[in-house]
Amino acid sequence: MPTFLHPLLLWGLAIVAAPVLIHLINLLRHRRVDWAAMEFLRVSRKKHRTWVLLKQWLLLLLRMLAIAAIVLIVARPLWKRQWGGLFGERKTHHIVLLDDSYSMSDRWADTSAFARAKRVVERIGAEAARQGQAEFTLLRFSRAAYSPLPLGEGPGVRAEFSEKSPSSSPHPNPLPKGEGVQPDFLREPADNGFREKLDAVLRKIDVSQSGAGPAETLVTLNEVLGQLEDRRRILYLISDFRTRQWNDPAEVKKLLGRWQAAGAEIHLVNCVDRARPNLTLASLAPETGIRAAGVGWFMGVAVTNNGAAPARNVTVFLEEDGRRRPSVQLAEIPSERTARTRFYATFSAPGWHRITARLESDAVEADNQWFFAFRLPSDLPVLLIDGDLRAPDARFLKWLFASEGLARTGLRPEIELPRILDRKPLAEYAAVNLANVDRLDTAAVQALENYVREGGGAAFFLGEPCETGFYNRQLYRNGRGLFPLPLRGPAELIVDRLEVAPDVQTGEHFLFRNFAKSRNNFLQSVNVQRYFASADGWEPPADGSVRVLARLRNGDPLIVEKRFGRGRVVAMLSSLAPTWNDWATNPGGAIVLLDLQGYLSQGRTRDVPRQVGSPLEVVLDPARYRPQVTFVVPRSPRSTKMTTIPVDAVASKGGKLSAVLPDAGRSGYYEAQLKEIGGGEETQLYAYNVDPAEGNLAVVDQPGLAQRLQGLNYRYAPAGLFQTNDRAVQGDRLWELILYLLIALLIGEQLLAWSASYHPRSVGQVGNLSHISPGGAP
Amino acid sequence: MPAPGRHLTDVKRFLDPQAIKRIARLDLRARTVVEGFLSGLHHSPYFGQSVEFRQHRQYTYGDDLRYVDWKVWAKQDRYYVKQFEEDTNLRCTLLCDVSNSMRYGAGPLNKYEYACTIAACLAYLLLRQQDAVGCTAFDDAPRMLVPQRTKRNHLDAILQALDNCSPRNKTDLSQILRSAAENFPRRGLMVLISDLLVDREGLFQGLRLLRSRGHDLLVFHVMDDDELDFPFSGPTRFNDLETPEHLRCNPRALREGYLNALNAYLEEVRRGCTRHQVDYLLLRTRQPLDTALAAFLSHRLGRERG
Repeated sequence: MPTFLHPLLLWGLAIVAAPVLIHLINLLRHRRVDWAAMEFLRVSRKKHRTWVLLKQWLLLLLRMLAIAAIVLIVARPLWKRQWGGLFGERKTHHIVLLDDSYSMSDRWADTSAFARAKRVVERIGAEAARQGQAEFTLLRFSRAAYSPLPLGEGPGVRAEFSEKSPSSSPHPNPLPKGEGVQPDFLREPADNGFREKLDAVLRKIDVSQSGAGPAETLVTLNEVLGQLEDRRRILYLISDFRTRQWNDPAEVKKLLGRWQAAGAEIHLVNCVDRARPNLTLASLAPETGIRAAGVGWFMGVAVTNNGAAPARNVTVFLEEDGRRRPSVQLAEIPSERTARTRFYATFSAPGWHRITARLESDAVEADNQWFFAFRLPSDLPVLLIDGDLRAPDARFLKWLFASEGLARTGLRPEIELPRILDRKPLAEYAAVNLANVDRLDTAAVQALENYVREGGGAAFFLGEPCETGFYNRQLYRNGRGLFPLPLRGPAELIVDRLEVAPDVQTGEHFLFRNFAKSRNNFLQSVNVQRYFASADGWEPPADGSVRVLARLRNGDPLIVEKRFGRGRVVAMLSSLAPTWNDWATNPGGAIVLLDLQGYLSQGRTRDVPRQVGSPLEVVLDPARYRPQVTFVVPRSPRSTKMTTIPVDAVASKGGKLSAVLPDAGRSGYYEAQLKEIGGGEETQLYAYNVDPAEGNLAVVDQPGLAQRLQGLNYRYAPAGLFQTNDRAVQGDRLWELILYLLIALLIGEQLLAWSASYHPRSVGQVGNLSHISPGGAP
Repeated sequence: MPAPGRHLTDVKRFLDPQAIKRIARLDLRARTVVEGFLSGLHHSPYFGQSVEFRQHRQYTYGDDLRYVDWKVWAKQDRYYVKQFEEDTNLRCTLLCDVSNSMRYGAGPLNKYEYACTIAACLAYLLLRQQDAVGCTAFDDAPRMLVPQRTKRNHLDAILQALDNCSPRNKTDLSQILRSAAENFPRRGLMVLISDLLVDREGLFQGLRLLRSRGHDLLVFHVMDDDELDFPFSGPTRFNDLETPEHLRCNPRALREGYLNALNAYLEEVRRGCTRHQVDYLLLRTRQPLDTALAAFLSHRLGRERG
């Protein structure tokens, strides 16, 4: 059956009647001539009447056919090979991989990369529908990346999903059990109603906030389709070909190579013409410090300039709990660099809070905002283990940390004896400080190590009671324990006091940031008389796990830090109380001690960055909460009402319950509404952000792509110039045949018109003087 | 009623000064023996007063003694008289077709006007050489008959007659030629000026009859350029000038057939004229008359002398 690319133009076939109309009009408008030589006309007419009439009708027919042919050519008819399958012709399977990562929202003029991509998909679908007997598969990058299908080669996210996805998933687009990836179309027959279906899907889908790339999509596609397919396969990869994903496309090249080896044709369609400048919010995170109600801390914000020119006077708009607060400004961000600034944040009330940063609108919108949600405690509990009740060290710390003073520290110190270390749940504490602890039993050491390994922070202050042997054997354990260094024993700091020099020399570290480049450095006035010297010849290991933060005047370490598991340990090799030094009485020392608590507690209060596409898992205590969680997801720009998703929690590790929201596909704040068994309700807040790296809009041009995909046979086309010029895609182009027919018709028409008309011979003329005919003589 | 002066001017419109100027130096001579009534340029069938001796004849009673050849009497003692050739003038009849078909003309002159111009020029030429000229305008019957005269002012009568005959009716040439043969029994020059859109058989019968009576015949076949070239295009309705018939056609489609039929007709006429020893000249109405007439007369004169 012939179909037409532009069926509306078939109305132009009415023009076919034009020659007939012209003929009729001419008949009405004939000239009148009074004529003498009628007999020759009559003879001519009698002789040629039949042939002339035949030629005239034929001429009229040819002209009508020529007009019809022109109209048909303009309407672009195609001949579907509906019967091709009967003669062994293979069907065509059109596989479209559509990049819907948020860089595809790159917009310019009145279009965007994704809009162009959708038009290309629409064109491919239309061609497939015209072709008939074709199949169509459409898989978006984001769908492939978020799929709950367990895949061997796929990214870990999907494997995680498969494990945690509840069987009765209340996902808004519930995935059939065991079906895995749900492309928008999977081997959909491109029949009569296909174009309407495709239009409906294309209207519905929009660019996602995913940063998914082509590699995982190709892997997913292999799993979905399998390799055995007795069809002609055409793979269309419609993307923006950003440098980030195509700079080292070894994996993609390998996967595409498999498709090529399997006989598939590969089309790469680029939807952007050039890289446009784009500012990206790279991060919004609290700096290290104590975060508690009523205590201020600094929030760091980073903006990346993905443009070729420096960006000046970049304003970052800020909101705290939905209320606007003074914005911060970055004077200049060099090209392809990230600039950072910070602002002071204070929340008086404990509980869940949110801070949102936004940039002004630019080419890509998704990376212009960053969400940060956190739970603010009223106080951070800090454990003080006092090894010597007679010494004032712990009491001094408690006094320092207590918030009864003029300034709120946000700390809630508790003084305990060393023996409670294995009896109390240390996880409740933001930091553990051990002062003058001479020894600990094995269980306490184990509990302390577990605490630090899980992200806790511990600080040691060494005084007279401390036993060198215990520290070396039990806590240091040749570097395997949590203590940073082996000790030699207490030592006097023997220096020339007449020589003007600070006893304590600090390096660059968070703890001493307040004194860096300061003219009035309080720490320079600290005097140290006695300390625990490190073992002879000890040097920090080369792996960087141990750092010396401060040294004494004689070069011996005074403050040493060690990373242990996910936590950190800081050892001050002198007393806390002003017995071996006057650190405690120095204003700078108090500041360092307070910052030390914030530094140690960072592991416990660390915010988990959540990226769009990763699942949202809420772990519940079954003794406290009911096994249902209602998730409130961010509204999409199109949606006007809030979307809530109830999820049943299932048993998880450690006797806990786990409720998972598998598809956190949008950036923003997600609420998890928990119901307590006692009847109360609790709302937890989680912030999801896009992958800022996707905001880099640098593109790989065609030569660059050719270089990177060398050896791969593919067709490349910009979206605007993309044509499904494959004959199998379009069906037979009937209009080419009609074009030849038209040429033949026009030639025939000219020949017939020539023969139906009269053309005088060039020589001889009737009635010249040669017609003098002499009569002969009689 | 037109003023006399104006009438004269209208009448003389058939006298083409250019044509007159070109043919004035030429003679129109009868190629055959003609019977005139004055001495002139043409051979007479009668014996008369001339310098050219023809024969001797035995004297009979009543012969004029002035013609007795006394030298023969002295030698043979018999009376013989000398007879001489007589030169006479020409009696020419101009047969001018003024039927309706002569009305056609797309150029400056239609066929009727062109034919009248030919007739006027010939009449002027003949009268200038003292020949007698008469004129018959005809369609299906003689419409105007001007007797043969030699007077110079006879030209006016001929012109007047031609001018009064506006084209109408059909042509019946066989009847006209037969009538001419009967009306002009003495041998002379007959000049037929027509488009010859008639029955060929009747035409040739008439020509044959005139030739059998001893007349010298000239046929001026006047055709319009359109009739010879048929340049029409586009749907056209052709209305017959002599009948109520009409024909609707695409002229370009019929042109080849038309011209074939026309050429066959012209060839037939030319052959018929040749067969009956009739001088024939086909004239186009857009063709300058002086050139055609001068060429024709020169050609005829050349053959006469040769």
